[in-house]
Amino acid sequence: MRDVAVLGVGMVPFGVHKGVPITTLVRNAGRDALADAGIGFGEVQAAYVGHMQSPPMKAVVWMKELGLTGIPVTRVENASATGSVAFREAYRAVAAGWCDVAMAVGAEKFSDLSGAQIQSGQRDIEATILPVGFFAMWAQRRMHERGTTAAQIARVAAKNWNHGARNPMSHRRPDHVVTADEVLASRMISEPLTAMMCCPVSDGAACAIVTTTEIARRLQPERPLVTVRASALRSETYTAGHTFLGAVVGPARMTADTAREAYEQAGVGPEDVDLVQVHDAFAIEELEYYELLGLCRPGEAESMIESGATALGGRVPFSTDGGLLARGHPGGPTGLAQIWETVHQLRGTAGPRQVAGARTGLCHLVGGGSVCCIHILQAS
Amino acid sequence: MPESVPLEEGYFVIPTEPDAPPHLLGSRCRACGEHFYPRRATCARCLSYDTEEVQLGPRGTLYTWTYLHVPGFGEHRATSTGYAAGQIDLAEGPRVQAVLEGGAGDFAIGMAMELTLAQVATDKQGRAVLMYRFRPVEARP
Repeated sequence: MRDVAVLGVGMVPFGVHKGVPITTLVRNAGRDALADAGIGFGEVQAAYVGHMQSPPMKAVVWMKELGLTGIPVTRVENASATGSVAFREAYRAVAAGWCDVAMAVGAEKFSDLSGAQIQSGQRDIEATILPVGFFAMWAQRRMHERGTTAAQIARVAAKNWNHGARNPMSHRRPDHVVTADEVLASRMISEPLTAMMCCPVSDGAACAIVTTTEIARRLQPERPLVTVRASALRSETYTAGHTFLGAVVGPARMTADTAREAYEQAGVGPEDVDLVQVHDAFAIEELEYYELLGLCRPGEAESMIESGATALGGRVPFSTDGGLLARGHPGGPTGLAQIWETVHQLRGTAGPRQVAGARTGLCHLVGGGSVCCIHILQAS
Repeated sequence: MPESVPLEEGYFVIPTEPDAPPHLLGSRCRACGEHFYPRRATCARCLSYDTEEVQLGPRGTLYTWTYLHVPGFGEHRATSTGYAAGQIDLAEGPRVQAVLEGGAGDFAIGMAMELTLAQVATDKQGRAVLMYRFRPVEARP
């Protein structure tokens, strides 16, 4: 396996892009990443396109916006983890020596779809409970076992909304400091989760270009090199209590196992991680991931949020770009937006969100409750 | 009882006797004894192909629950007041996710639950389309 670096990242702001074709979003994110990488599309040797919705071949057709150069183009889909897995495939293509420069693109327009269409393809018997319900049940169970309060869950959401205010790419950019009280007072969706504890319906596109560390050093001698130190992808391991029908909440063990694998690959431990992006589609999730990713011991997640350890300026900031809760979660590009944020943090170009001295960043997404994908990036 | 059909075949049994309880359709692994809902052809625990169809329920324990303040499946936005959903650990082992019968204040983790059927639609032939739910055993009239 060869060492792989991120050569360029690009994205369009997440939000509602009414009337803007998805091809335009793909083109703009792709060109942004190419400009950041300092190369042309002619130098890209393989592309992996992450997209959740729409009929076959669409993703491949969109790539024509960037050029028709005959390169292999592969569509990737893994629910919420789609963009992460597109990035992983580009990473693997370069690491394995199949090509020297690979691109991962993700794009989605959820605002064009109804809630029912976002879940289309599911049979009726699987679609009788909305996804938010499953995460709310997770919250209820944690409240029962650990005494977690709705106010603590609200603090996670408020933190991420406030992080989003500092990110020009964020869907939600509040013009005031969001408090836990404001989050708690927003409309109840599924007890205990209020509207502000749930991610918005977003559109967006994001792109990352990877190459060998050797080529990256040659092309960008003046820039801090951001290398991919780990890429781990796991599906579920059967455990008692597994729900086979309609589950969207992955078993705890999946994230913990994937994290262990990623730390081993990278040769680092949780204590070395400076910032983390997670699947915070619903605020309860981030609390769980503090523990499952090993950033605190089981039972300490609540004190972690209350102490401010996971806010910008804290010990290990989570969801520095606003997370899925604020930056948005269009599906296909979400994982690549995490890479975008982490690369900027590790280069020291994250502006008002900059984590001082950031050297190691972890990106985590789960997809459909049934896969978990983790990348660890490091500045050298 | 008017003629009724399940929302989807193969997931639960509609009782033919008036007072008989409904059951879920699941599988039991003949090799290791693990039970599953819904039915599956490969044991998820030991990977044996030797599974048999079994009826599960109708009793279980509430593992967790929520109340969704959004219209339920097949309901109209204007008239809906929301619905409860929960995970029920069946006596045989499997954890089942289902809509619950009752209001927001009717549930507590650990309470005894039982399977029931409710009409969610009417098909083109005018038959009642049924889906399973769980309700607290205590609240039974």
